[in-house]
Amino acid sequence: MGIVRFVLLLLVLLAWQLLWIRGLPEYVLGPVEILRHFGAALGERDFYDHVGASLMRSMPGFALGTLLGIALGLAAGVARSFDQMLSPVVFLTYPVPKIVMLPLFMLWFGIGDVSKILIIALACFYPAFISAYYGAKATPAILVWSGLNMGAGKWRIFLRVVVPNALPQVFAGIRVSLALSFIVMFATEMINARSGLGHMIRVAENSLRFDLMYVSLASIAILGYASDQLLRLGRERVLAWQEQNA
Amino acid sequence: MRRLLPFVLIGAALLAWELVVRSGLWSPLLFPPLEKILSELILFFSKSESLMEAWVSLYRALGGFALAAVAGVAIGMLMGRSAPAAALLDPFFSGTYAIPKIALFPIFIFAFGIGSLSKLALVFLECLYPIVIITCQGARSVNRVLLWSAQNMGESRLRTFARVVLPATAPYIFAGFRVALPVALIVVIITEMISSADGLGYVVIYALASLKTDRMLAVVAVIALLGLALDRALVFLRDRLVYWEKLETYYV
Repeated sequence: MGIVRFVLLLLVLLAWQLLWIRGLPEYVLGPVEILRHFGAALGERDFYDHVGASLMRSMPGFALGTLLGIALGLAAGVARSFDQMLSPVVFLTYPVPKIVMLPLFMLWFGIGDVSKILIIALACFYPAFISAYYGAKATPAILVWSGLNMGAGKWRIFLRVVVPNALPQVFAGIRVSLALSFIVMFATEMINARSGLGHMIRVAENSLRFDLMYVSLASIAILGYASDQLLRLGRERVLAWQEQNA
Repeated sequence: MRRLLPFVLIGAALLAWELVVRSGLWSPLLFPPLEKILSELILFFSKSESLMEAWVSLYRALGGFALAAVAGVAIGMLMGRSAPAAALLDPFFSGTYAIPKIALFPIFIFAFGIGSLSKLALVFLECLYPIVIITCQGARSVNRVLLWSAQNMGESRLRTFARVVLPATAPYIFAGFRVALPVALIVVIITEMISSADGLGYVVIYALASLKTDRMLAVVAVIALLGLALDRALVFLRDRLVYWEKLETYYV
Protein backbone atom coordinates (compact mmCIF):
# COMPACT_ATOMS: atom_id res chain seq x y z
CA MET A 1 0.00 0.00 0.00
CA GLY A 2 2.74 2.41 1.00
CA ILE A 3 4.71 1.61 -2.13
CA VAL A 4 1.67 2.25 -4.34
CA ARG A 5 1.23 5.67 -2.75
CA PHE A 6 4.88 6.49 -3.17
CA VAL A 7 4.83 5.52 -6.84
CA LEU A 8 1.67 7.58 -7.30
CA LEU A 9 3.33 10.60 -5.74
CA LEU A 10 6.37 10.15 -7.98
CA LEU A 11 4.13 9.87 -11.05
CA VAL A 12 2.34 13.11 -10.15
CA LEU A 13 5.65 14.92 -9.67
CA LEU A 14 6.98 13.47 -12.92
CA ALA A 15 3.88 14.58 -14.84
CA TRP A 16 4.21 18.04 -13.29
CA GLN A 17 7.87 18.28 -14.28
CA LEU A 18 7.13 17.11 -17.84
CA LEU A 19 4.30 19.63 -18.15
CA TRP A 20 6.66 22.31 -16.91
CA ILE A 21 9.25 21.38 -19.53
CA ARG A 22 6.53 21.51 -22.20
CA GLY A 23 5.83 25.03 -21.01
CA LEU A 24 3.55 26.25 -18.22
CA PRO A 25 2.69 29.86 -17.32
CA GLU A 26 5.56 31.82 -15.82
CA TYR A 27 4.12 31.67 -12.31
CA VAL A 28 4.10 27.85 -12.16
CA LEU A 29 7.48 26.30 -11.44
CA GLY A 30 8.40 22.65 -11.84
CA PRO A 31 9.21 20.49 -8.80
CA VAL A 32 12.91 20.29 -9.66
CA GLU A 33 13.11 24.08 -9.94
CA ILE A 34 11.32 24.52 -6.61
CA LEU A 35 13.70 22.07 -4.96
CA ARG A 36 16.69 23.91 -6.42
CA HIS A 37 15.44 27.32 -5.20
CA PHE A 38 14.59 25.88 -1.81
CA GLY A 39 18.06 24.40 -1.51
CA ALA A 40 19.57 27.77 -2.41
CA ALA A 41 17.42 29.54 0.20
CA LEU A 42 18.58 27.09 2.88
CA GLY A 43 22.05 28.56 2.53
CA GLU A 44 20.91 32.12 3.22
CA ARG A 45 20.59 33.85 6.58
CA ASP A 46 17.55 35.85 5.48
CA PHE A 47 15.49 32.72 5.06
CA TYR A 48 16.08 31.57 8.64
CA ASP A 49 15.20 35.05 9.92
CA HIS A 50 11.83 34.86 8.18
CA VAL A 51 11.10 31.34 9.41
CA GLY A 52 12.14 32.33 12.92
CA ALA A 53 9.95 35.44 12.88
CA SER A 54 6.97 33.37 11.73
CA LEU A 55 7.47 30.71 14.37
CA MET A 56 7.91 33.35 17.07
CA ARG A 57 4.38 34.49 16.24
CA SER A 58 2.56 31.23 15.58
CA MET A 59 3.98 29.18 18.46
CA PRO A 60 3.21 31.56 21.37
CA GLY A 61 -0.21 32.32 19.88
CA PHE A 62 -0.97 28.64 19.44
CA ALA A 63 0.23 27.75 22.94
CA LEU A 64 -1.68 30.58 24.61
CA GLY A 65 -4.97 30.05 22.77
CA THR A 66 -4.94 26.27 22.92
CA LEU A 67 -3.98 25.94 26.58
CA LEU A 68 -6.55 28.53 27.64
CA GLY A 69 -9.15 26.88 25.43
CA ILE A 70 -8.51 23.41 26.83
CA ALA A 71 -8.46 24.61 30.45
CA LEU A 72 -11.66 26.65 30.17
CA GLY A 73 -13.34 24.03 27.98
CA LEU A 74 -12.69 21.29 30.54
CA ALA A 75 -13.86 23.60 33.33
CA ALA A 76 -17.06 24.44 31.46
CA GLY A 77 -17.56 20.74 30.74
CA VAL A 78 -17.55 19.74 34.41
CA ALA A 79 -18.65 22.82 36.38
CA ARG A 80 -22.11 24.26 35.87
CA SER A 81 -21.14 27.78 36.89
CA PHE A 82 -18.37 27.92 34.27
CA ASP A 83 -20.69 26.37 31.72
CA GLN A 84 -23.39 28.97 32.16
CA MET A 85 -20.93 31.84 32.11
CA LEU A 86 -18.62 30.83 29.26
CA SER A 87 -20.47 28.58 26.85
CA PRO A 88 -23.04 31.14 25.61
CA VAL A 89 -20.27 33.60 24.77
CA VAL A 90 -18.14 31.01 23.01
CA PHE A 91 -20.93 29.40 21.03
CA LEU A 92 -22.47 32.73 20.07
CA THR A 93 -19.20 34.16 18.75
CA TYR A 94 -18.01 30.90 17.19
CA PRO A 95 -19.29 31.57 13.63
CA VAL A 96 -17.89 35.12 13.67
CA PRO A 97 -14.69 35.30 11.59
CA LYS A 98 -12.07 36.07 14.23
CA ILE A 99 -9.71 37.66 11.70
CA VAL A 100 -11.93 40.79 11.61
CA MET A 101 -10.58 41.56 15.08
CA LEU A 102 -7.08 42.01 13.59
CA PRO A 103 -7.53 45.70 12.65
CA LEU A 104 -8.97 46.31 16.11
CA PHE A 105 -6.06 44.52 17.79
CA MET A 106 -3.62 46.44 15.59
CA LEU A 107 -5.20 49.63 16.87
CA TRP A 108 -5.07 48.59 20.52
CA PHE A 109 -1.82 46.66 20.71
CA GLY A 110 0.14 48.17 17.84
CA ILE A 111 1.06 46.70 14.48
CA GLY A 112 3.88 44.60 15.94
CA ASP A 113 3.93 41.00 17.07
CA VAL A 114 1.56 41.39 20.04
CA SER A 115 -1.53 41.93 17.93
CA LYS A 116 -0.58 39.01 15.67
CA ILE A 117 0.07 36.64 18.58
CA LEU A 118 -3.23 37.62 20.19
CA ILE A 119 -5.26 37.09 17.03
CA ILE A 120 -3.62 33.67 16.54
CA ALA A 121 -4.45 32.84 20.17
CA LEU A 122 -8.05 33.94 19.67
CA ALA A 123 -8.45 31.78 16.58
CA CYS A 124 -6.88 28.74 18.32
CA PHE A 125 -9.02 29.17 21.44
CA TYR A 126 -12.32 28.17 19.83
CA PRO A 127 -11.61 24.67 18.50
CA ALA A 128 -9.66 23.85 21.68
CA PHE A 129 -12.47 25.04 23.94
CA ILE A 130 -15.26 23.33 22.02
CA SER A 131 -13.57 19.94 21.73
CA ALA A 132 -12.45 19.95 25.39
CA TYR A 133 -15.99 20.98 26.41
CA TYR A 134 -17.70 18.16 24.53
CA GLY A 135 -15.00 15.71 25.54
CA ALA A 136 -15.49 16.45 29.25
CA LYS A 137 -19.28 16.46 28.88
CA ALA A 138 -19.22 13.02 27.27
CA THR A 139 -17.67 11.37 30.34
CA PRO A 140 -19.87 8.34 31.15
CA ALA A 141 -21.67 9.07 34.41
CA ILE A 142 -21.12 5.47 35.52
CA LEU A 143 -17.34 6.00 35.57
CA VAL A 144 -17.76 9.09 37.75
CA TRP A 145 -20.10 7.18 40.08
CA SER A 146 -17.66 4.30 40.32
CA GLY A 147 -14.89 6.73 41.20
CA LEU A 148 -17.05 8.41 43.82
CA ASN A 149 -18.04 5.04 45.24
CA MET A 150 -14.43 4.05 45.61
CA GLY A 151 -13.86 7.21 47.57
CA ALA A 152 -12.04 9.37 45.07
CA GLY A 153 -12.13 13.13 45.61
CA LYS A 154 -13.36 15.65 43.06
CA TRP A 155 -9.87 16.54 41.83
CA ARG A 156 -8.89 12.92 41.54
CA ILE A 157 -11.97 12.15 39.49
CA PHE A 158 -11.28 15.13 37.26
CA LEU A 159 -7.65 14.12 36.69
CA ARG A 160 -8.10 10.34 36.47
CA VAL A 161 -11.54 10.00 34.86
CA VAL A 162 -12.68 13.16 33.08
CA VAL A 163 -9.36 14.25 31.55
CA PRO A 164 -8.35 10.84 30.13
CA ASN A 165 -11.86 10.42 28.79
CA ALA A 166 -11.73 13.81 27.06
CA LEU A 167 -8.19 13.41 25.69
CA PRO A 168 -9.02 11.96 22.25
CA GLN A 169 -11.41 14.86 21.62
CA VAL A 170 -8.88 17.33 23.02
CA PHE A 171 -6.27 16.10 20.57
CA ALA A 172 -8.75 16.48 17.70
CA GLY A 173 -9.21 20.10 18.82
CA ILE A 174 -5.47 20.71 19.10
CA ARG A 175 -5.02 19.42 15.54
CA VAL A 176 -7.54 21.95 14.21
CA SER A 177 -5.97 24.74 16.31
CA LEU A 178 -2.50 23.89 15.03
CA ALA A 179 -3.61 24.11 11.40
CA LEU A 180 -5.44 27.36 12.18
CA SER A 181 -2.40 28.89 13.88
CA PHE A 182 -0.39 28.59 10.66
CA ILE A 183 -3.23 29.91 8.52
CA VAL A 184 -3.78 32.96 10.71
CA MET A 185 -0.04 33.55 11.11
CA PHE A 186 0.43 33.54 7.36
CA ALA A 187 -2.64 35.73 6.80
CA THR A 188 -1.61 38.37 9.35
CA GLU A 189 1.89 38.47 7.90
CA MET A 190 0.49 38.93 4.41
CA ILE A 191 -1.78 41.72 5.61
CA ASN A 192 0.82 43.63 7.58
CA ALA A 193 4.33 42.64 8.66
CA ARG A 194 7.98 43.40 8.07
CA SER A 195 9.24 39.85 8.46
CA GLY A 196 8.05 36.28 8.31
CA LEU A 197 7.06 33.87 5.56
CA GLY A 198 3.83 35.71 4.75
CA HIS A 199 5.76 38.95 4.32
CA MET A 200 8.31 37.11 2.18
CA ILE A 201 5.64 35.85 -0.22
CA ARG A 202 4.12 39.33 -0.52
CA VAL A 203 7.46 40.90 -1.38
CA ALA A 204 8.14 38.10 -3.85
CA GLU A 205 4.72 38.62 -5.42
CA ASN A 206 5.20 42.36 -5.80
CA SER A 207 8.66 42.01 -7.32
CA LEU A 208 7.68 39.01 -9.47
CA ARG A 209 10.29 36.80 -7.77
CA PHE A 210 8.50 33.54 -8.40
CA ASP A 211 11.41 31.57 -6.98
CA LEU A 212 11.01 33.24 -3.56
CA MET A 213 7.24 32.76 -3.75
CA TYR A 214 7.70 29.03 -4.03
CA VAL A 215 10.38 28.98 -1.32
CA SER A 216 7.89 30.60 1.08
CA LEU A 217 5.10 28.27 -0.06
CA ALA A 218 7.30 25.20 0.36
CA SER A 219 8.45 26.31 3.83
CA ILE A 220 4.94 26.89 5.16
CA ALA A 221 3.82 23.57 3.65
CA ILE A 222 6.71 21.77 5.34
CA LEU A 223 6.08 23.54 8.66
CA GLY A 224 2.37 22.71 8.56
CA TYR A 225 2.93 19.10 7.60
CA ALA A 226 5.81 18.49 10.03
CA SER A 227 4.01 19.98 13.03
CA ASP A 228 0.93 17.92 12.23
CA GLN A 229 3.04 14.75 12.11
CA LEU A 230 4.73 15.75 15.37
CA LEU A 231 1.34 16.14 17.00
CA ARG A 232 0.32 12.74 15.70
CA LEU A 233 3.42 11.21 17.22
CA GLY A 234 2.64 12.85 20.56
CA ARG A 235 -0.94 11.65 20.34
CA GLU A 236 0.16 8.08 19.78
CA ARG A 237 2.38 8.21 22.87
CA VAL A 238 -0.18 9.82 25.15
CA LEU A 239 -3.14 7.85 23.86
CA ALA A 240 -1.40 4.49 23.49
CA TRP A 241 -4.25 2.82 25.41
CA GLN A 242 -6.82 4.24 23.02
CA GLU A 243 -5.02 3.16 19.85
CA GLN A 244 -5.01 -0.41 21.12
CA ASN A 245 -8.78 -0.37 21.45
CA ALA A 246 -9.38 0.98 17.98
CA MET B 1 -33.69 32.53 30.76
CA ARG B 2 -31.30 30.41 28.73
CA ARG B 3 -32.49 31.98 25.48
CA LEU B 4 -32.10 35.45 26.94
CA LEU B 5 -28.58 34.93 28.24
CA PRO B 6 -26.77 35.80 24.98
CA PHE B 7 -28.64 39.09 24.82
CA VAL B 8 -27.74 39.86 28.43
CA LEU B 9 -24.10 39.20 27.57
CA ILE B 10 -24.19 41.43 24.50
CA GLY B 11 -25.80 44.13 26.60
CA ALA B 12 -23.09 43.78 29.24
CA ALA B 13 -20.35 44.00 26.61
CA LEU B 14 -21.87 47.16 25.13
CA LEU B 15 -22.20 48.66 28.60
CA ALA B 16 -18.56 47.86 29.37
CA TRP B 17 -17.55 49.49 26.08
CA GLU B 18 -19.49 52.64 26.94
CA LEU B 19 -17.88 52.73 30.41
CA VAL B 20 -14.41 52.52 28.84
CA VAL B 21 -15.32 55.38 26.48
CA ARG B 22 -16.75 57.52 29.30
CA SER B 23 -13.75 56.92 31.55
CA GLY B 24 -11.74 59.04 29.12
CA LEU B 25 -8.59 57.02 29.77
CA TRP B 26 -8.15 56.15 26.12
CA SER B 27 -8.36 58.22 22.99
CA PRO B 28 -11.75 58.10 21.24
CA LEU B 29 -9.75 56.92 18.24
CA LEU B 30 -9.07 53.64 20.05
CA PHE B 31 -12.52 53.32 21.62
CA PRO B 32 -15.07 55.33 19.62
CA PRO B 33 -18.36 56.03 21.43
CA LEU B 34 -21.23 53.64 20.71
CA GLU B 35 -23.48 56.28 19.18
CA LYS B 36 -20.85 57.11 16.57
CA ILE B 37 -20.47 53.45 15.68
CA LEU B 38 -24.24 53.15 15.50
CA SER B 39 -24.59 56.15 13.22
CA GLU B 40 -21.89 54.68 10.95
CA LEU B 41 -23.81 51.42 11.00
CA ILE B 42 -27.00 53.21 9.92
CA LEU B 43 -25.00 55.00 7.25
CA PHE B 44 -23.68 51.64 6.07
CA PHE B 45 -27.14 50.19 5.61
CA SER B 46 -28.57 53.33 4.00
CA LYS B 47 -25.96 53.59 1.24
CA SER B 48 -26.23 51.34 -1.77
CA GLU B 49 -22.45 51.38 -2.35
CA SER B 50 -21.67 49.88 1.03
CA LEU B 51 -24.42 47.30 0.60
CA MET B 52 -22.77 46.41 -2.70
CA GLU B 53 -19.50 45.75 -0.83
CA ALA B 54 -21.35 43.39 1.49
CA TRP B 55 -22.94 41.68 -1.50
CA VAL B 56 -19.54 41.22 -3.17
CA SER B 57 -18.15 39.50 -0.06
CA LEU B 58 -21.27 37.39 0.36
CA TYR B 59 -21.19 36.36 -3.29
CA ARG B 60 -17.55 35.27 -3.01
CA ALA B 61 -18.09 33.36 0.23
CA LEU B 62 -21.30 31.61 -0.84
CA GLY B 63 -20.12 30.98 -4.39
CA GLY B 64 -16.93 29.26 -3.27
CA PHE B 65 -18.81 27.43 -0.54
CA ALA B 66 -21.48 26.16 -2.94
CA LEU B 67 -18.87 24.82 -5.36
CA ALA B 68 -17.02 23.15 -2.47
CA ALA B 69 -20.30 21.70 -1.15
CA VAL B 70 -21.13 20.03 -4.46
CA ALA B 71 -17.62 18.76 -5.14
CA GLY B 72 -16.92 17.92 -1.49
CA VAL B 73 -20.04 15.80 -1.00
CA ALA B 74 -19.37 13.98 -4.27
CA ILE B 75 -15.73 13.25 -3.41
CA GLY B 76 -16.53 12.38 0.21
CA MET B 77 -19.26 9.95 -0.85
CA LEU B 78 -16.94 8.35 -3.38
CA MET B 79 -14.17 7.96 -0.78
CA GLY B 80 -16.59 6.68 1.84
CA ARG B 81 -18.28 4.06 -0.31
CA SER B 82 -15.52 2.89 -2.63
CA ALA B 83 -12.28 1.36 -1.37
CA PRO B 84 -10.18 2.06 -4.50
CA ALA B 85 -11.30 5.70 -4.53
CA ALA B 86 -10.38 6.01 -0.85
CA ALA B 87 -6.97 4.43 -1.43
CA LEU B 88 -6.34 6.88 -4.26
CA LEU B 89 -7.67 10.09 -2.73
CA ASP B 90 -7.12 9.65 0.99
CA PRO B 91 -3.31 10.16 0.87
CA PHE B 92 -3.88 13.38 -1.03
CA PHE B 93 -6.40 14.84 1.42
CA SER B 94 -4.70 13.70 4.62
CA GLY B 95 -1.26 14.66 3.29
CA THR B 96 -2.21 18.21 2.38
CA TYR B 97 -4.71 18.77 5.22
CA ALA B 98 -2.29 20.56 7.55
CA ILE B 99 -0.78 22.78 4.84
CA PRO B 100 -2.22 26.31 4.93
CA LYS B 101 -3.89 26.75 1.56
CA ILE B 102 -3.86 30.52 2.05
CA ALA B 103 -0.21 30.48 0.96
CA LEU B 104 -1.40 29.62 -2.56
CA PHE B 105 -3.23 32.94 -2.81
CA PRO B 106 -0.41 34.90 -4.53
CA ILE B 107 -0.19 32.18 -7.18
CA PHE B 108 -3.98 32.25 -7.55
CA ILE B 109 -3.77 35.99 -8.13
CA PHE B 110 -1.41 35.40 -11.05
CA ALA B 111 -3.53 32.57 -12.37
CA PHE B 112 -7.05 33.97 -11.87
CA GLY B 113 -6.52 37.70 -11.54
CA ILE B 114 -7.04 40.03 -8.62
CA GLY B 115 -10.86 40.02 -8.89
CA SER B 116 -13.40 37.56 -7.54
CA LEU B 117 -12.11 34.45 -9.28
CA SER B 118 -8.91 34.06 -7.24
CA LYS B 119 -10.92 34.48 -4.01
CA LEU B 120 -13.59 32.02 -5.11
CA ALA B 121 -10.87 29.49 -5.92
CA LEU B 122 -9.26 29.83 -2.49
CA VAL B 123 -12.62 29.64 -0.67
CA PHE B 124 -13.41 26.52 -2.68
CA LEU B 125 -10.11 24.90 -1.75
CA GLU B 126 -10.32 25.74 1.98
CA CYS B 127 -13.96 24.60 2.27
CA LEU B 128 -13.37 21.39 0.33
CA TYR B 129 -11.32 19.71 3.06
CA PRO B 130 -13.75 19.71 6.01
CA ILE B 131 -16.68 18.76 3.75
CA VAL B 132 -14.80 15.87 2.11
CA ILE B 133 -13.39 14.54 5.39
CA ILE B 134 -16.64 14.66 7.38
CA THR B 135 -18.81 13.38 4.50
CA CYS B 136 -16.40 10.48 4.01
CA GLN B 137 -16.62 9.65 7.72
CA GLY B 138 -20.42 9.67 7.49
CA ALA B 139 -20.60 7.58 4.33
CA ARG B 140 -18.33 5.01 5.95
CA SER B 141 -20.48 4.70 9.05
CA VAL B 142 -23.75 3.87 7.28
CA ASN B 143 -25.37 0.98 9.13
CA ARG B 144 -24.52 -2.19 7.21
CA VAL B 145 -27.80 -3.86 8.17
CA LEU B 146 -29.74 -1.12 6.37
CA LEU B 147 -27.69 -1.66 3.22
CA TRP B 148 -28.22 -5.43 3.35
CA SER B 149 -31.95 -4.97 3.86
CA ALA B 150 -32.16 -2.69 0.84
CA GLN B 151 -30.19 -5.19 -1.27
CA ASN B 152 -32.34 -8.05 -0.03
CA MET B 153 -35.46 -6.22 -1.09
CA GLY B 154 -34.00 -5.98 -4.58
CA GLU B 155 -33.25 -2.26 -4.67
CA SER B 156 -30.97 -1.02 -7.41
CA ARG B 157 -27.63 0.55 -6.45
CA LEU B 158 -28.86 4.00 -7.39
CA ARG B 159 -32.00 3.67 -5.29
CA THR B 160 -30.01 2.29 -2.35
CA PHE B 161 -27.75 5.30 -2.59
CA ALA B 162 -30.58 7.81 -2.80
CA ARG B 163 -32.82 6.21 -0.14
CA VAL B 164 -30.31 4.74 2.33
CA VAL B 165 -26.78 6.12 1.99
CA LEU B 166 -27.68 9.74 1.34
CA PRO B 167 -30.16 10.15 4.23
CA ALA B 168 -27.83 8.29 6.60
CA THR B 169 -24.94 10.58 5.65
CA ALA B 170 -26.99 13.81 5.65
CA PRO B 171 -26.31 14.73 9.31
CA TYR B 172 -22.56 14.40 8.66
CA ILE B 173 -22.80 16.42 5.46
CA PHE B 174 -24.43 19.25 7.37
CA ALA B 175 -21.82 18.98 10.13
CA GLY B 176 -19.19 19.46 7.41
CA PHE B 177 -21.10 22.43 5.99
CA ARG B 178 -21.26 23.98 9.43
CA VAL B 179 -17.48 23.80 9.76
CA ALA B 180 -16.90 25.04 6.21
CA LEU B 181 -19.28 28.03 6.13
CA PRO B 182 -17.41 30.17 8.70
CA VAL B 183 -14.18 29.17 6.95
CA ALA B 184 -15.60 30.56 3.69
CA LEU B 185 -16.29 33.92 5.32
CA ILE B 186 -12.86 33.99 7.01
CA VAL B 187 -11.04 33.30 3.74
CA VAL B 188 -13.02 35.96 1.89
CA ILE B 189 -12.30 38.59 4.54
CA ILE B 190 -8.59 37.66 4.69
CA THR B 191 -8.12 37.72 0.93
CA GLU B 192 -9.97 41.02 0.66
CA MET B 193 -7.75 42.46 3.36
CA ILE B 194 -4.61 41.25 1.56
CA SER B 195 -5.35 42.40 -1.93
CA SER B 196 -8.60 43.71 -3.24
CA ALA B 197 -10.40 46.87 -4.27
CA ASP B 198 -13.81 45.87 -3.00
CA GLY B 199 -15.60 43.73 -0.41
CA LEU B 200 -16.01 44.10 3.35
CA GLY B 201 -12.43 43.07 4.18
CA TYR B 202 -11.14 45.86 1.97
CA VAL B 203 -13.51 48.38 3.57
CA VAL B 204 -12.23 47.43 7.06
CA ILE B 205 -8.56 47.87 6.10
CA TYR B 206 -9.33 51.08 4.22
CA ALA B 207 -11.19 52.52 7.22
CA LEU B 208 -8.30 51.57 9.50
CA ALA B 209 -5.74 53.15 7.16
CA SER B 210 -7.74 56.38 7.11
CA LEU B 211 -8.18 56.20 10.91
CA LYS B 212 -11.98 56.10 10.67
CA THR B 213 -12.19 53.78 13.65
CA ASP B 214 -15.94 54.19 14.10
CA ARG B 215 -16.59 53.15 10.51
CA MET B 216 -14.17 50.25 10.86
CA LEU B 217 -16.00 48.97 13.94
CA ALA B 218 -19.35 49.33 12.19
CA VAL B 219 -18.10 47.13 9.33
CA VAL B 220 -16.58 44.67 11.82
CA ALA B 221 -20.04 44.45 13.40
CA VAL B 222 -21.59 43.85 9.98
CA ILE B 223 -19.13 41.00 9.29
CA ALA B 224 -19.81 39.47 12.71
CA LEU B 225 -23.57 39.65 12.13
CA LEU B 226 -23.12 38.16 8.68
CA GLY B 227 -21.22 35.21 10.18
CA LEU B 228 -23.94 34.66 12.77
CA ALA B 229 -26.76 34.99 10.22
CA LEU B 230 -25.16 32.51 7.80
CA ASP B 231 -24.71 29.96 10.58
CA ARG B 232 -28.30 30.42 11.77
CA ALA B 233 -29.60 30.06 8.21
CA LEU B 234 -27.63 26.84 7.76
CA VAL B 235 -28.93 25.40 11.06
CA PHE B 236 -32.48 26.38 10.04
CA LEU B 237 -32.09 24.58 6.72
CA ARG B 238 -30.53 21.57 8.42
CA ASP B 239 -33.34 21.22 10.94
CA ARG B 240 -35.88 21.18 8.09
CA LEU B 241 -33.98 18.71 5.89
CA VAL B 242 -32.60 16.38 8.58
CA TYR B 243 -35.66 16.60 10.81
CA TRP B 244 -35.26 13.03 12.13
CA GLU B 245 -32.05 13.75 13.97
CA LYS B 246 -31.81 16.55 16.50
CA LEU B 247 -28.77 18.77 16.25
CA GLU B 248 -26.52 18.00 19.18
CA THR B 249 -25.10 21.39 19.93
CA TYR B 250 -25.50 24.11 22.42
CA TYR B 251 -28.71 26.13 22.49
CA VAL B 252 -27.17 28.91 20.47
